[in-house]
Amino acid sequence: MAAITGVIPRPTSYAGLWGWITTVDHKRIGVLYGLTAFIFLIFAGIEAGVIRLQLASAESDLIGPGRYNEMFTMHATTMVFMVIMPLSVSFFNIVIPLAIGARDVAFPRLNALSYWIFLFGGVLMHMSFVVDQVPDAGWFSYANLTEKPFSVDRGLDYWAISLLVMGTSSVAGALNFIVTIINLRAPGMTMMRMPVFVWMTLITSLLLVLAFPVITVGLIELTMDRNFGTHFFIPAEGGDPILWQHLFWVFGHPEVYILILPAMGMVTEILPTFSRKPLFGYPFIVFSGIVIGIMGWAVWSHHMFTVGLGPVANSVFTITTMLIAVPTGVKIFNWIGTLWKGSIEFTTAMMFALAFIALFIVGGLSGVSHAVSPSDFQQQDTYYIVAHIHYVLFGGSIVAIFAGTYYWFPKITGKMLDETLGKLNFWLIFIGMNLTFFPMHFVGLNGMPRRIYTYSSEFGWEHMNQLASIGYIVMALGFLVFMYNLWQTRNSRRVSHDPWDAPGVEWTISSPPPPYNFAEIPQILGRDHYWIVKENAEAAGTPITGPEAQVDPSSIHMPSPSYWPLFTAIGVALIGGGLLSHYALSFVGGIIAMVGTVAWANEPPSAPSDHH
Amino acid sequence: MGLLPFRPESSTGKPSAVNSSKPKGRRSSLKNRLVLFGLMAALFLFAIGCSKEGQSTWEAFGPVAQKQLDLFNVLLWVMVAVFIIVEGVLLYAIIRYRRRPGDEKPPQIHGNTSLEIVLTIIPTILVLALGIWSVFTLFEIDKPPKGGPEPLHVIVTGHQWWFEFEYPDAGNGKHIITANDLRIPVDRPITLSLESDDVIHSFWVPKLAGKLDMVPTHINEMWFQADSDKIDDDLPVSLYGQCAELCGLAHALMRFRVTVMEQAQFDSWAADYGPPPTNTARAKKGQQVFAANCTLCHNIDGPDDPSLAKSRLEGFLTGGDITPVPAPNLTDLRTRETLAAGIIDLSETTLRDWIHDPEDLKPGNYMSERAVLYQNGTADLSDEEIDALVGYLLDLR
Repeated sequence: MAAITGVIPRPTSYAGLWGWITTVDHKRIGVLYGLTAFIFLIFAGIEAGVIRLQLASAESDLIGPGRYNEMFTMHATTMVFMVIMPLSVSFFNIVIPLAIGARDVAFPRLNALSYWIFLFGGVLMHMSFVVDQVPDAGWFSYANLTEKPFSVDRGLDYWAISLLVMGTSSVAGALNFIVTIINLRAPGMTMMRMPVFVWMTLITSLLLVLAFPVITVGLIELTMDRNFGTHFFIPAEGGDPILWQHLFWVFGHPEVYILILPAMGMVTEILPTFSRKPLFGYPFIVFSGIVIGIMGWAVWSHHMFTVGLGPVANSVFTITTMLIAVPTGVKIFNWIGTLWKGSIEFTTAMMFALAFIALFIVGGLSGVSHAVSPSDFQQQDTYYIVAHIHYVLFGGSIVAIFAGTYYWFPKITGKMLDETLGKLNFWLIFIGMNLTFFPMHFVGLNGMPRRIYTYSSEFGWEHMNQLASIGYIVMALGFLVFMYNLWQTRNSRRVSHDPWDAPGVEWTISSPPPPYNFAEIPQILGRDHYWIVKENAEAAGTPITGPEAQVDPSSIHMPSPSYWPLFTAIGVALIGGGLLSHYALSFVGGIIAMVGTVAWANEPPSAPSDHH
Repeated sequence: MGLLPFRPESSTGKPSAVNSSKPKGRRSSLKNRLVLFGLMAALFLFAIGCSKEGQSTWEAFGPVAQKQLDLFNVLLWVMVAVFIIVEGVLLYAIIRYRRRPGDEKPPQIHGNTSLEIVLTIIPTILVLALGIWSVFTLFEIDKPPKGGPEPLHVIVTGHQWWFEFEYPDAGNGKHIITANDLRIPVDRPITLSLESDDVIHSFWVPKLAGKLDMVPTHINEMWFQADSDKIDDDLPVSLYGQCAELCGLAHALMRFRVTVMEQAQFDSWAADYGPPPTNTARAKKGQQVFAANCTLCHNIDGPDDPSLAKSRLEGFLTGGDITPVPAPNLTDLRTRETLAAGIIDLSETTLRDWIHDPEDLKPGNYMSERAVLYQNGTADLSDEEIDALVGYLLDLR
C-alpha cells in the first residue's frame, strides 16, 4: 500500500487553491462549511421567495401545485440539512478547538472527509433541479405518498440518497467532536469549566450519533421500497406508512434540538461578554441542556397527535412534551439573570443574541400550546405551526448564527464586520422576521392549512399573507446588507486579538490564529479563563496588551494536508450518484472510496518532509 | 472546585450604588410611550388578526370544537401573561442595565440556587396543570357522551383528491354513498370511521372538531356534533372542511362541506337519494352520454357495488394509462352545493366548464389524466352532448 501513497506525493503547501482543497486545518474547514452552507442558504431563500410570491394573493396562478410542492420541500430540506446544521458545524470547527485550548480536532482528515461528503451530498440533492425531478413530498416525506405509484419520478430517490450521503458526513463529524471535546481539552479545562458552547456541541454531537441511524434505517427502507420491490411502507402489500412517521420523528425531534442547542450555546457565550458579568447559573444551563438532550427522545409523537394513536399515547406525549418546556425555561431565566445588573453593550452580536432570547420566548410559548394535544388537533398542519417553527429555527437558530458570526468573525479573519452595517442588518432581519412570521399565527388559527399552493379569497387569509410576503422582502434586504458587510471587510483594518474583552480561551491568541493555534498549550485557570488571566495580570501591574507570542510553525508538530479525504469523498458521492443513474457508477465509487480509505490508513499523519 | 455549583462572589466587583443610576426621566417617558404604542399596535393586530370567518378555529359549533377552543383560550391567556412578564423583564433588564459612560465592572454574580429552584418549580407546576387538563379533555372528547341521542354513523374515505361519505344506515336502513358534501342532522352525535384508499389524508372541519388523519389500512374513529343553540343562522348551514395532510398535487384543492340540517330535512334528503329522473328528452339523451362515457368510474344509480369499487381501486394503484379509478358517486350530485371537492359552487355553468376541461379547474385530477374522454385534453363531447349531460345530472327541466 505504500506504493499507492507513494505514487502521488503528499501535498505540503498551505497556500492557494490546493492548500484549501487538501486542508485538514479545522479553521479552514470551518470556513468552507460556512461558505458552502451560506450558498445553500441563498438557494433556500430564493425558494422561500417563490413561496411568498405565490401566496401573496388568493387564487394565484404564478406557479402550479407541482412546482409549489417542490419549493417547500427543498426549502425545508435545504434549511435543515444544508444550512442550519452545517452552519452549526462551521462554528464547531472554528470555535471548539480554540475554546478548549487544542491545536486541532481529534481526527483532522476525518474532519475534511465530513466536509467534502457534505458538499457532494448537497450538490447531489440539487442535481434534482438539473434533471427536473425534484423532491416534492415535504421535508418529512410521509409514506406512502413517497411510494410508487404516487411519486413516480426520481425526486424522492434524490432526496433519500442525498440525505444518506450527508448523514455519513454528520455522524463522522459528530464522532470527531465528541472525541475532541473529551480528549483534547487543555490541562485545567475540567468538564465543569468548559464553555457552554462546548457543552452544547458535545450534547448535539451525541444526539447526532444516536439520531442519524434511525433516519438512516428509514431512508434505506424507503429506497428499497422504491427501487428494489420491498414494501416496508406500502399498505396494500402489508407495510405500514405509520412506521415511517415513527422512524422519522424519533430522529426528527432530537434533530430539532440538534438545530437549536448550538444556537443556545453561542448565545450563552455572547451574553456574558457584553454584560461584563459571568454567566448566571452555569451548572443549571449545562444540566438543562443535558436534560433536554435526554428528554428530547421521549416526545417524538407530539408531531403525530392527529395520526390516531389514541388518547393514552397522546396523554403520555402531552405530559412529556409539557415537561421539556421546563429546562428550556430554565435557560431563559439564566440568560436574563446574566443580563441582570450587568453593563450591557449593544454590539451587533449582542443585539442578535438578545433578539434570540426575545424571539425564542415566542417560539417556546407557541411550542407549549402544541403540547396541549386537544387544542393541537385544531392547529396541527396549519400556519400556526409554520409560525412556531420559524420562530425557533429562524428567530432561534439563524438569529443566533448571525450573533455568532458577528462575534467570532474578528477571531477567524482578524477583521471586524462593520458595526453600523451590522445594526442595519440586525433591524432589517428583526423587523422582517416578525413581519413575516407573526401574522402566520393568526392565519393558522383562522384555519389556513400548511402546504397549500392556493387558497380561496373567501377565507379571509389574504391580508395576513401579504404582510408575510412584505416581511420577506425586508428580511431579504437584511441578508443583502450582511453580504455587503462581509464583502467590505476586505479593505478594513486589522483588529486586536481580543476586541470584545472576552473571557474565552480563543481570545488569548492572535487573530487570525496561527495554523497551530497555541504555541504552548495553555493551563486553564477557570471558567472565564481569559478574564482571570487579564485580571491577574492587571493586579500584578503587567496588563496584557497583545496575543500570545507566535513561534516558528516548523517547531510544532501538526498534521499535514492530504488528498485522501477528498478522494474518498468523491467515491462516496459516486456510490450515491450511481444509485440515481447507472449502478456501474456505484461500483466505481465503491472502489474509489475503498482505495482512498486504505491509502489514507497507510498515510502517516505528517509528511516526512514536514517532520522534524 | 470545577464541580461546585457556584463560586463565591468575586471580590473585585463590589456593586457600585452610585453607578447604578436610574434611567433619566425624559428618556423613560418616551420609552413608556413607545411601549404603550407597541401594546396598542399589538392589540389592534390581534383584533384584526382573529376572524371567525370560513374555516376559522375561533368559533365552535359543537361540543368537541368547543372543548378544544376553551382549552386554547385559557392557554392563550397563560401564554400572553407569560409573554408579557418574561419579555417585560427581559426588556427592563436590557434598558435598565445598558452600559453608560464611566460604568465600572458590574458585580460578578455566578448564580442563586434558591432562585433557580423556585424558577424551576413554578413553570413545572404550570405546565403540569395544563398537561393534566389536556389529558382530561382528551378522554372527554374521545367518545360521544352515553345516554344522548342515537349517533349517526358515517364512513369517510379519503381519495386523491376528494372525500367519500358512506352512510350504512341513514334512517330506515337506507344505504347511501355520496361525496364531498357531508349532510348531518343537527343536535345528534355523528360517529365517523376514517379510512383512506391511497395515501394519508386528514379530515378537518374546524367548526366541529380538530383534525384526524385518514391512514390507509387503519381505521380511525372520531365524532362530532353540531348544536342548534350555537348556530345563529337558519338551517341548513354549510361549514367548510379541508384535507390537512399533504397528499400530492391537488392537496390544496381537496376540500368539502358539512351541511348541518334539521333531522326532518336530513330524512327527506335521505329518502330522495336516488338516480336523477329521466322523464324528459334532454335527460334521456344525457343518460345515454353518461352511460357511454362515465360509468367506468362513476356510479349514478345508488351506492357503488363493493366489487366494482375494488377493481377500480386496483386499476388506480397499478396505474395503467386508461384504467378505471375510484371516482365520486354522482347519484345525488343535483342536491350538492359544490363541485370538484368543494372548490367551486355547483351550477349549470360551472358543471359545464368542469366537464369540458377539468384540468383547468383542478390541476392534477385523475379524470382528465385517465379518462378516454380526455385523451385530447378537453372532453371529446359536442356542446349538445355536454348540455344533455348537465341537464341529466342536475335534473334540469
